[in-house]
Amino acid sequence: MKAIEFSNVTCGYGPKTVLDAISFDVPSGEVIGLVGRNGAGKTTLIRSAMAMIKPHSGAIQILGQDPFVQPELVKERIGYVSEDQILPPFLKTHDVMELHKSLYPKTWDDHLARSLAGTFNLPQNQKISKLSKGQARQVALVCAVAHRPELLILDEPAGGLDPSARREFLETSIAFLNECGSTILFSSHYMTDVERMSNRLLMLHSGRILLDRDMDELKEEFTLTVIPEVEGIDSDLLLDHPSCLSVRKRDDRFHAVFQLTTSAAQHVLEKEIGITGCPTKAMNLEELFVEVTGSQK
Amino acid sequence: MLILVDPNNGIPVYRQIMDQIKFFVSSGVLKPGDALPSTRSLSADLGVNPMTISKAYSFLERDDVLERRPGRPLIVKAISDEEQTRQRMDQLREALSPAVRVVRQLDIEADRAIETFRQMLKDQEPMK
Repeated sequence: MKAIEFSNVTCGYGPKTVLDAISFDVPSGEVIGLVGRNGAGKTTLIRSAMAMIKPHSGAIQILGQDPFVQPELVKERIGYVSEDQILPPFLKTHDVMELHKSLYPKTWDDHLARSLAGTFNLPQNQKISKLSKGQARQVALVCAVAHRPELLILDEPAGGLDPSARREFLETSIAFLNECGSTILFSSHYMTDVERMSNRLLMLHSGRILLDRDMDELKEEFTLTVIPEVEGIDSDLLLDHPSCLSVRKRDDRFHAVFQLTTSAAQHVLEKEIGITGCPTKAMNLEELFVEVTGSQK
Repeated sequence: MLILVDPNNGIPVYRQIMDQIKFFVSSGVLKPGDALPSTRSLSADLGVNPMTISKAYSFLERDDVLERRPGRPLIVKAISDEEQTRQRMDQLREALSPAVRVVRQLDIEADRAIETFRQMLKDQEPMK
């Protein structure tokens, strides 16, 4: 069974289209990192998966069901944390957890909740308003996972957290993965977190899917080359090559991303495009993100 | 055994883990029969997805570096001298491949490159 399936989903607010006929699916057990520039459509994608926004057209299946038909049945099987999630500030950690427990009477796992809360030293008798931002986010995460959801959806979970709080949040998520092996979809601007957490990357740009690839393949099969601007070389010539994914002009040189290993890219540059001596390198995710989304209009 | 991963590196995380374990085995830090940490504990220690650890471990099993025994921790596989030499040569080849690229990019003659390597080996010979 697929945990998430989007077929030709078009979605937006009023006349504005935010997701433009996108299709992808997530098999059970995958951790998929959703990245893209601000306004690319990440939150809209997540909210439509959560049945919070109804698509104009196309179909969404979550855990094999249409979330718009019986949203409560689907939501029982999902955990969700958003960046702007607001927990009642006047309640204590313990009470917030009890409240969530009452929402999932059959599936709530007290042991898991206590063990996660204990690992991260969440003060049980402190009011939410007195917790740090990082602690409050961790309470939200514990509440989102203690009913052992089959699918966990995190929208910018680490937004606004300091590096230590972010790392702790990541570690909680990994502890949960180790414990339950669920499917996770999470959006983030922190590329190193995406690399640590996910085994697949979905890159959105202007409401479309720009890349949907295995994380390791991205690093092994994509190469950045820097090509000087010389006579006879321009963006169109490079983009004409079937393996050239993007070209970005920087001053007097081009940054071109090839969907090839570094040695294959070197070969293509020399033998097929006819330029020698261009530096090539494997890219980390941040570099790939900047090159690919930065070259798009 | 101390493994470090750097997500900013262009090398996939599973490969970084594989390379380090291979190096520990060929340099004798890990000996045949030594147990590896479980997928869960290494995943928690390194702060990476447990699937990444499984992937590294399975490839190491495929490459005859580790041995899986049902229900027990993975161990370093005992291998013949011949096989050990092959693994070490593989590592050398991998380490040299960036140098080969530089030789190409700088358009240096093969003989000169080899002579330089020979000289560097001589210069850095361990003291007797």
